[in-house]
This record gives sequence, C-alpha cells and structure tokens, in this order.
Amino acid sequence: MIEFRGIKKVYHMGGHALEALRDVSLNISKGEFVSIMGPSGSGKSTLMNIIGCLDTPSEGEYYLEGRNVAGLTFDQLASIRNRMLGFVFQNFNLLPYATAWENVELPLLFNGKNAKKRRERVAELLKAVGLLDWKEHRPSELSGGEQQRVALARALANDPPIILADEPTGNLDSHSGEEIMSLLGKLWKDGRTIVMVTHDDRIAARSERTIRLFDGQVA
Amino acid sequence: MNLTLPRFFLNEFRKRRKKSALITFALFWGTLSVLLLLAFGRGMTSQFRTSFSGLGENLIMISGGQTSKVHQGLPKGRRIRMVPTDVQYLKERIPEIAVIAPESYNGWPVSARGKEINRQVHGTTAEFAGLRTQIPQPGGRFLNPDDVAKGRKVAFIGWKVARDLFGTEDPVGQKIVVNRVPFTVVGVLQKKLQDSMYNGPDADQVYLPFSSFSQIDSQPYLDRIHIQPREIGLSMLVEERVRALLGRMYRFDSGDKYALSIWNTIENAKEAGAIFKGIEIFLGIMGALTLLIGAVGVTNLMYAIVRERTQEIGIKMAIGARRRVIVQQFILETLFIFLKGTFWGFITAFNLVHLVRLIPISYEGFGIEAYLLRPVFSLEIFAIFLGIVGTLVFLSGIFPAVRASRLNPIEALRYE
Repeated sequence: MIEFRGIKKVYHMGGHALEALRDVSLNISKGEFVSIMGPSGSGKSTLMNIIGCLDTPSEGEYYLEGRNVAGLTFDQLASIRNRMLGFVFQNFNLLPYATAWENVELPLLFNGKNAKKRRERVAELLKAVGLLDWKEHRPSELSGGEQQRVALARALANDPPIILADEPTGNLDSHSGEEIMSLLGKLWKDGRTIVMVTHDDRIAARSERTIRLFDGQVA
Repeated sequence: MNLTLPRFFLNEFRKRRKKSALITFALFWGTLSVLLLLAFGRGMTSQFRTSFSGLGENLIMISGGQTSKVHQGLPKGRRIRMVPTDVQYLKERIPEIAVIAPESYNGWPVSARGKEINRQVHGTTAEFAGLRTQIPQPGGRFLNPDDVAKGRKVAFIGWKVARDLFGTEDPVGQKIVVNRVPFTVVGVLQKKLQDSMYNGPDADQVYLPFSSFSQIDSQPYLDRIHIQPREIGLSMLVEERVRALLGRMYRFDSGDKYALSIWNTIENAKEAGAIFKGIEIFLGIMGALTLLIGAVGVTNLMYAIVRERTQEIGIKMAIGARRRVIVQQFILETLFIFLKGTFWGFITAFNLVHLVRLIPISYEGFGIEAYLLRPVFSLEIFAIFLGIVGTLVFLSGIFPAVRASRLNPIEALRYE
C-alpha cells in the first residue's frame, strides 16, 4: 500500500544542505498498524509528511497503492490527501473560527459531497467520537482530548483507507491519550492502515510493527 | 459545491469580522475623506465660476475716459463721452461683434406703496439680459425689443429692490414710480452669485427700456457699451477696432489707453480659468496622495491578514483543499471587505454632501459659506476612486494569497 524506494529529503538552509532522510526504503501493507520511532531530528516527521503528501521527496520513488506520487500536481495530491489519507496532528490543527461540526464538514465540502450526505456523515462521525452535543463549540471551547477527537472525526470524513497520526497523544493527558489510542485501535480493527509517529514506547507497543529511524535512515 | 463553499467562506468571514474591522474602517474612512475632499473642492471651484460669470460671460464693457496723449493738435486731458448712436455705428463696422447693448444710468428715487428708496436706474435694451446674466425669476421677464421700440413704461428690478419695496409680495404687474414717472414691473432678477460689478450688485438695480429712460433723463450721453464678440479669441481684436473707430470719431490716439475705459472680462476670465485649473490640479494631487496613504495602510493590513492565516491555509491543504479554493476564499473575503468599507464610505459622503447642500446660503455680500456649502458629488470621481482603490486592495489581498497557495502544505502548516 505504501512503498518507499530510496527516498531522500534534503533541506537547504542558508547554504548548508541538511539531509533529513537519506535513502529510506520501506513497505507498509494494507491493514498494518505501524509506529515510527526515533530520537528528535531523526527524520520521523519528515517521513510522515512525505507519506502524507504534505511534502515531496528530493529523490526516490513513493508508490501509494501502486501509483507513483512524485509526478502528481498539487491538485491531484490535494485529492489524495482528501480521500485516501486522514491526518491527526499533535497540535490538532483545527480551524479556530469553525465549530466542531464545520471542522468535520470541510473535507466533505472539498470532496464535493452534497448537503444531505454531509449532514448525515458529520452527525455519524461526531456521534462516533462522542461529541455530537458539542457540535456548535469552537476548538477553544473544547478540551485537548475533545479537540483531538474532533480532529480524528475530521480525518475520517471521507472514509480514507490510511490514517496518519503524528504524535497524536503528545499534547494529551493519559486518560484522553488512552481514548484516542482506543479509537485508533478500533479503526485498525475495521481494516484501516495506521501509521503513527511517537516517541513513547508504551504507545508504540500498541502497534504491530515499529520502524526505527536514526539519522535519516531506517535503523 | 459551488454554492456551499462560498457560504462556508462567508460564514468564516463573519466570525472573523473583528479581525477585519480595522481594514474595513480604513477603507470606509479613506473613501469618505477622498470623496468629501473632492466634492468640496469641486463645489468651491464651481461656485467661483458661477460668481465669476455673475456679471456676464465673454463680456467687453466700454465707457468714456480722458485722453492722456496729445493728438492731431488737440491737448491731453480731454473728456471722451459716447452717445447712443455709437452703438449702431460700431455694430455696423465691426463684424466680429455678436451682441451689443447700450447702458446709461442715473441715481433716482424709486417708490411704491408709499415706500421710497434711492437706487441706480439703468436704461438698456433686450440684449442686455444675455450679456449680463439677467435671468428673471419665474413668472417674470426681462425687457424685450418691443418695450424698447415703443418706449413702454416697464421695469425689471433686482431682487433686493423687490424685497425693499414689496416685501414678500410678488412685484410683477405692480406699479413703481421712478423719478415721478410710473412704471410697471415686468420681472425680478433671480438670485445669483456675483463677484464683480460696477455701481453695486445687480440685485440693487432697476432697469428700464433705453427709450423710456432717455425720456426722463436729461443727459445726452451714453455711459457704457456692452459687447460680446463672436468668439472668445476675438476679444482683443474687437477691443482694438473699438479704439480705432471711436478714436477716429472722437479724435484721440487709438493707442491712448485712457481715452476709453475698457473692461475686458474675457482676458480676466483667462486668468481666473488658470487659477481654477490650478486649484483643481492641486485638489487632484491632494486626493491622489490621500489615496496613496490609505492604500499603503490597506495593503499592509491585507498582507498581515493573509500572513496571519497561512497556518489555516496549511490546515485546509492538509484536508484536501485545492489551490483554487484557497485563492477563491481570499478573493471573496477581499471583496466583502472592499464592498463593505467603500459602500459605507460612499453612503456617508453622499449624504453629508447632500445635507450640506441643504443649508441655505445668502446671496447678499460674499460670505465664505457661498463657496463652502455647495459641494458637488461626482459619481464619475467615485468610479475612478473605486477603480484605483479596488485594484490596490485586490492586488494586496490576492498576491499574498496566491503566494501562500503555492507553498508546500507543510511549509504553510509550520508558518509562524
């Protein structure tokens, strides 16, 4: 499902070239629950961003469901992000001016779903994360755990086969973190592929497989 | 999709209203001040123009003088006085004359209904009306050729004379007595701004047909001849011809500037025209500079708003927004802000201008209010204004938005 072949990512900063990823090759199959670990600066976030089509590799090939992502346009990538990938970020990344409902609705809107379908889907998702009663609340009126649940509902909006979670519990207390992890576990059991970045061994233990990165390479 | 995305944007815009309030206000204030500046400037120059033409337009006024040069054995210091037949004489010999009219006057008691006042009474012909901007109030008329030909006992009076003798009553059809001879009032002068005059403003004068005037006036001379040339450019030529012809008739040197006193308003008007043009250019520059200052402010604010929202752009990209959607949202937001600010600025300026115009102004004396209280609102200027400000605002809103939409999603997400 996700295949990296010789992926490199080089950042240019004021004359220096910084190699964030050097020659990473990996394979993640459909339905796997993979965690990515490594010390800070090891390139795990960069790896995650490339998997998520938020960033492009400097070299190498990335096949997503057999399709080489390298040659795609911005809008084609936008469509992939919209339908195939669901993101959960450490700092939630909800739109501050939108309500919980609107935050979940937006990916559906970008996907061209009609009003009736959107309404049904948003209600279903908010119910699933237990926040239907908070639908009119803005992110600032919700707790961290609640915000992350809204973010998870948003990630699931277009029913993507892959969920990408970048330190999803990093900003949460242990109870809320546990809630998010059990939701992710449920999604995995439903057949979704989960890729999660973490530096917490206990969290990583919930996954099937751990990929360890060190200095931009798979250790 | 097409309907709902803009609705979502509008919704988000409403919630962010406070963030854009400053820029909306800046647009409102800029629109208001530029429109007011130009409206009052235009009004002022237009009032200047009207009052300048209050005496008459394209007018050459000739009256007798005193020679200052020895000519054909005659000494200097001789008095030159024109007579009524000179009018016909000049008209026949100078083809460049379009309209010509005689004028004589004398100070006499004028009375009606037991009230008596002393006023300047003039004798002239029907042509005088066009030459000297003598517009009658509704219901009345100026002297006509028949009045002059038949020597009718009719009079045209200034509005102050009318007020002094008749109060608020309509004087048309009423009798007045001029120098013990009764005349019927046929018209009253409409109020006008007049900044140049001889013998006081026209509001204080009484006009009679030349023939009737001559019957009660004992002097054989003519006080003044009014000429309008066929074209403005011919005014100096006409002036020269008049000096030459009358010089031959009254035997003075045609180069003697004091033999005749000639008031050429056309030459004055050229000067005044340059001043008005100057004022207008000055106001235009002021407006442009005000606009520039406003535009810099607005541009800056727009830019800041887009920068501030780069992270949100990143979030939208991450959940699948296409480039077009990102740019569209900023175009729409800029449009809302622009329309809101300029709309209220326009409404306020428009109403202020029309409110100020409601304030009555006095036509007596030359109050500053006559020039300040008649601003002219120009839609044409507003259109130009919209064009310039619109372009600036859109460029300042859309450039950073397009730039932000070209970022990698991750760069936008991490933007701070």
